[in-house]
This record gives sequence, structure tokens and C-alpha cells, in this order.
Amino acid sequence: MIEVKIYGVVSLKTNVESLKTNVKNVDELLGIIPGLSRKEAKDLVLLVNGKAVKKNYEFKDGDKVALLSPAGGG
Amino acid sequence: MTTKYGGYMGKVLMIDLLKKEAIEYPFSDEERALYIGGKTMAAKIIKDNLKGHEKAFSDDNLLVITTGPLTGSGAPSSSRFNISTLSPQTGYLTSSNCGGNFGYYLKKAGLDALILKGHLEKPSWIEINNDQILFHEADDLWGMKTGEVQKALDEKLRLKNGRVRKNGKIVIGPAGENQVLYSCIVSNDRVSGRGGTGAVMGYMNVKAVVASGNKEVKVLEKDKMTKLCQKWFKYLRKHPLTGSQLPKLGTAGLVSAMQMKSILATKNYKYGQFEDFEDVNGETLAKKYNIVNKGCLTCPIKCARTVSVEGVITKGPELETLVLLGSGILNNDLKAILKWNYELDELGMDTISCANTISYAMEANEKGLWDNGLEFKKIDNLSKVFEDIAYKRGIGAELALGSKRLSEKYGGKEFAIHAKGMELAAYEPRKAVGLGLGYAVSNRGGCHLNGGYLVILEGLGLAINPTTYHGKADLTMLFQDLMEMISSSGQCLFTSYAFFPSPLMNHPNSWYTRLANKVLPYCGFAVRLINKYPRIAHLHLPVFHHTKAFEYVTGMKMKFGDYVRAGERGYNLEREVNRRFEVNANKDALPKRLIECLQDASDKDSKVPLEKLKKVYYHARGWDQNGLPKAKLLKKLKIED
Repeated sequence: MIEVKIYGVVSLKTNVESLKTNVKNVDELLGIIPGLSRKEAKDLVLLVNGKAVKKNYEFKDGDKVALLSPAGGG
Repeated sequence: MTTKYGGYMGKVLMIDLLKKEAIEYPFSDEERALYIGGKTMAAKIIKDNLKGHEKAFSDDNLLVITTGPLTGSGAPSSSRFNISTLSPQTGYLTSSNCGGNFGYYLKKAGLDALILKGHLEKPSWIEINNDQILFHEADDLWGMKTGEVQKALDEKLRLKNGRVRKNGKIVIGPAGENQVLYSCIVSNDRVSGRGGTGAVMGYMNVKAVVASGNKEVKVLEKDKMTKLCQKWFKYLRKHPLTGSQLPKLGTAGLVSAMQMKSILATKNYKYGQFEDFEDVNGETLAKKYNIVNKGCLTCPIKCARTVSVEGVITKGPELETLVLLGSGILNNDLKAILKWNYELDELGMDTISCANTISYAMEANEKGLWDNGLEFKKIDNLSKVFEDIAYKRGIGAELALGSKRLSEKYGGKEFAIHAKGMELAAYEPRKAVGLGLGYAVSNRGGCHLNGGYLVILEGLGLAINPTTYHGKADLTMLFQDLMEMISSSGQCLFTSYAFFPSPLMNHPNSWYTRLANKVLPYCGFAVRLINKYPRIAHLHLPVFHHTKAFEYVTGMKMKFGDYVRAGERGYNLEREVNRRFEVNANKDALPKRLIECLQDASDKDSKVPLEKLKKVYYHARGWDQNGLPKAKLLKKLKIED
């Protein structure tokens, strides 16, 4: 089981702030984000336990995943 | 004095407050072409009048309020004006770009700039209506908070038909009256926040300046400008940063990204992450509290939040306030921050410096250096502390001095988080070292924007290596110069974010964005080439509409290379003013916490390699080892003959 949290402008679109899932890898995860197509999900920044991972990363039980839209300036 | 250029009203007014006399200040077309407007024009005026012995609180100091040629021209986000003065916080030049409506109405009154000098015998407010200048006693206004005094002034300007004469104002609150070193000037609900401009206005006994009139800004190529603006507004509305992130989440939308990148100033910059950040981020602000997003005049970005505080509809907090009164003091109560943001604006104090001074005091108390009653996470007494600061009561009288002076008295210089005496913004720079350099060398002190805002490349917009020193100095210089010019022309710096092509922002995982992230740190040579030979950038960039707009409004030639050169001139001019007040490489400093202590013990690069960065930066700028512009550079930039 992994915990996924969604941040940034995209969180207003998905209307889901977090979810728990048993997906095995990044590719599977990108297909199940509520309100987003796989294509849209692919354009999010993905961090696992605070670090960037490769596209073929296999999740481990307890991983904390953050998905966020690119930010900008303030 | 008239002008051949469009965009300018052709008149700068200087008011000698001691004599209550207004005279036209000479500013020629040659000077307009070199010093443009805004902060650069103000630096030129201050350089020509201040010699280096003056103090901020003295009759020699000037408060220079300038517009740019694009202010009121109809260009997007162009209601901006600037306030520059000798800062009581730093002792150097400060400049503060504000989005209120005063600049627009100053031009309606026929002025490009207003210079105040000396002080009035009694607290007063100044009315400028076209060519008429009136001084009014302000006994009934003195002591009022910033919202209340603006309403009271509107009542004084009510016409016989019941309407209020259209006007723009700048006002100070109790903090400015009492010369709190980081007090600000307020226009509508926007703030000229940094460097203590409000304290200088308080010293001058000027509670408010009100401008009105019926003059029009002349745009030389009106049809071309109208077409360009249509295209530009559309571009900004479609861009992911100016059309989505900023309107939907405001600047507060950066909190989560800053947390992910470990650059969220936490517990007085001891850490870069805050476990409760979700309670105080932009998403929570948008979902729970934001009523509507709001913009300044002619702004399509509309980044401001609107919230309700105890029944009053008011401006929501910006990122800086949210972070520094949130994670900065280990506070997870967002509702409290909304209330404090309102209170600080009403008292007329810079939220950044105030919050950082308080977090310094909390740490000093925790370490047993200063028994002041302030503790991290303890927030129930803060509203009273803010009032005490504004009125300089009890402990507030000490907090009104800012963290630098307090650390000199009580110790803890290593965790007094300031540069040149002005407290840093909300980005913890040990995981964004280019911004660390920017904070240190910034002309006005610890400012992210005057520092070049490289963090937008170091993890927020793009994702270049945040801890390498490669390319950081050159890119910092480029961004400082670009922002200098955007500000000087009268526009909001946020228009510069659309400089980054949308595909790079929309597709952060694409091959071309990853390539850009890898390559950018090694593009320093290109920046230096443009600086040395601006002719190689003798073109208008499709992602940067500013240059064409400048040409259409003013009639001056302004290709991208010229634009960068003008910004470079402004930045160096400000440095030259500061030279008179003994700025040098030693003053371009950061506290030890940020340059000697690793943020992450497992990452040897997680501190700012400041001396290494400064060396490259000074070389790139054409400054000597002591951080001062060389004579050859000053001649090239036409700052000196």
C-alpha cells in the first residue's frame, strides 16, 4: 500500500487531496488519478519519499508519493 | 519641462517640506533614455542629491516616488509605482515596487515622479490635484490605521454631488508614525513593504499623499500598442504560471512545492520543511478561505486573495506572510495568519521583516539569550505583540528595531536571518544556492526579487541542480537586470514569469525540459556575451512582449539587448549609490546558519557557497574584488563620464 498526495493547481481539478492504493509502479499510478487522463498525469512532478524517481520505479510498501503541478513564482 | 517621448508626463516635482514649496525638478530626455523610470530614475535622483554622510531620519534624505513610462499606458499589470529612499533598516538605498493605484493617479496629476525632502512642522497630508499642491493639517488623521485613514481621506474629497473625487493615495499607519524601522507605505490594499519607507514618511510628518487629475498618458503608437496588448493579455492568461497558478492559488500556491524542495523557511530557517505545511498552504487557503481572486489595475493575472477576517472582507496573505508566520514560527493555524496579515497591513508594517524579527526573538528566548516571552508554536499573544511593536510599547520597542540590531544586543548573529540589515524572504536558500547569492548581493538587502529570484529555476518553475554553483552567478545577474528594467518601466515583476515558454512549464518530464534543466547552468557565457555585446540580442523575443510595448509607448528603440543593458545600468547605479554609504564585499553577507551549517547532514552541498558564488558574480558583473563596479564599467553604462 502506498499513500499518494496531490498538490498545486492540479489538486483543484482532481478534487482529491490524497489516496491510498496498491498499484505496483509509476505507470500504473498515472492511470488511476481521479479526474485526470494518463496524458495529464504524466505532466505532473512525481516524488517518492521526497525524491525524484525514474519512470520504471517499482513502489515499496509504505512509500509516500507526492504529485504536484509545476509551480512558478511569487 | 516637456518630453518628446510617449509614456512620460514630462514633469518631476520636488517638495521641500520645511519651506512648503514645490519646484519642478529638472529631468531631461537624455536622462529618461538612460534611467527610464521607477527605481532606476529614483536611484539617479538620489545619487545626484545624497553624498554619503546622510542618515535615513534626517532632513537630507529624500523620499522619491516614481512611475514608469508604462504606468497607466494600458499595458498588462502596469499600475505599478516605486518608492525609493535611504533605508532606516539598512542605511543603503531601498526601493519598493507597489501595485496600488497611486502611480496611475500621480500621472493623472501630470507627474512622472514626486520627491519629498525635509519634514513638516506638524503632522499633515498633501493633496496634489493637477497643478495644485495643498498642505492640510492631519491632527484628525494622525493615529489612524491604514484602512481607516484612506476612508477618512475619501470623505474629505467628497464632491458637492456626493461622489468622491477619483484619487490615488499613499498612507502610513501607526508603525510609520512611530518610525518602526520596517514600517511600510500602503496604497489601497497594496503595500510598498520593504526597507522601511513608511518610517521615513513618518519622520517627514506626512500621513498621506493624495493625487488626482485629468491628464492622460500619451501612447505614441496607439494602434500598434492596442493590438500588442490584446495579444499580450491573451498570452498571460494562457501561460501556466500567470494564467493558472497565480490566479488560482496566488503566490501562496508555492508553499507545497517549497516543502517538496526543502526550501520552506521553517523554525527561523533552521529547517527547510514543516510537517504541518498542508494546514498553511495555498491549496488550503484557496479551498477554505478565498472568496475571490483580485488584481491591480489593468492586471490579467489577478494573484491577490480576498478573505473574510472577523466580518471584514480584506486581502489574503501572500506567500511570504503565510510562510514566515506559519512554518517560520511553527504555527499551523491559517485563520490566525489571515487575521495577523490584516492587522499588520492596518498597522502599516512589513510582514516579512516583522515575522522574521519575531522568529529570531523566539529562538533567542529558546537559547536563553533573551527572556522575552516569545516561543515557537505559542501564538495566542502575537496580535498584542504586533500592536506593541507599532506603538513601541514594552518589548515591542525592541522588536521594532529588527533582527540585526537585536542580535547585536543579545547575541545570536548566526541565526539573525538578514542581509544588510533587511530580513530574508520565505525561501530557505541552502537548497537553492543561487537565491542565496541573490539575497546577499541584493542592493536593498535580503530580498528575493532584487536578488534575481533564481529559485524559479532551482526547483519551482524549472529544476536545475539547486546546489551547484555552476551558472548561478551569471543567471542571477541576468534575472536581476531583467527585473530591474521591468520594475523601472512601471510593470509588475510577475509579467516576467511568462518569459519561460509554456511547454517547459506544462511538460516538466519531457525531454526538452530535462535538457533545459541540464544545460542552463552552463549558459553563463551566453549571458556574459549579451551583456558585453547587446547588439547580438538586437531583436524582440516572442515570449517577452515588454520590449515592443516599450517602443510603442515611448518611441525609444528598445530591443532585448537594450532592455538588459538598461537593467544593468539601473542595478549598477543603485550599487554606486550604496558605494557612497560604504557598501562592499563584506556587506554582501548571510548569517552563518546559511553558509556554514548543512541543512541536511547527509548532503554536503546543502549550504550556500557564498564566497565562491560572489567571486564569480563580481567577475561577471565587471566589479572589483571588493564588490564595486570598475570605472570602465561605469563609463560603458554611462553612469559616469
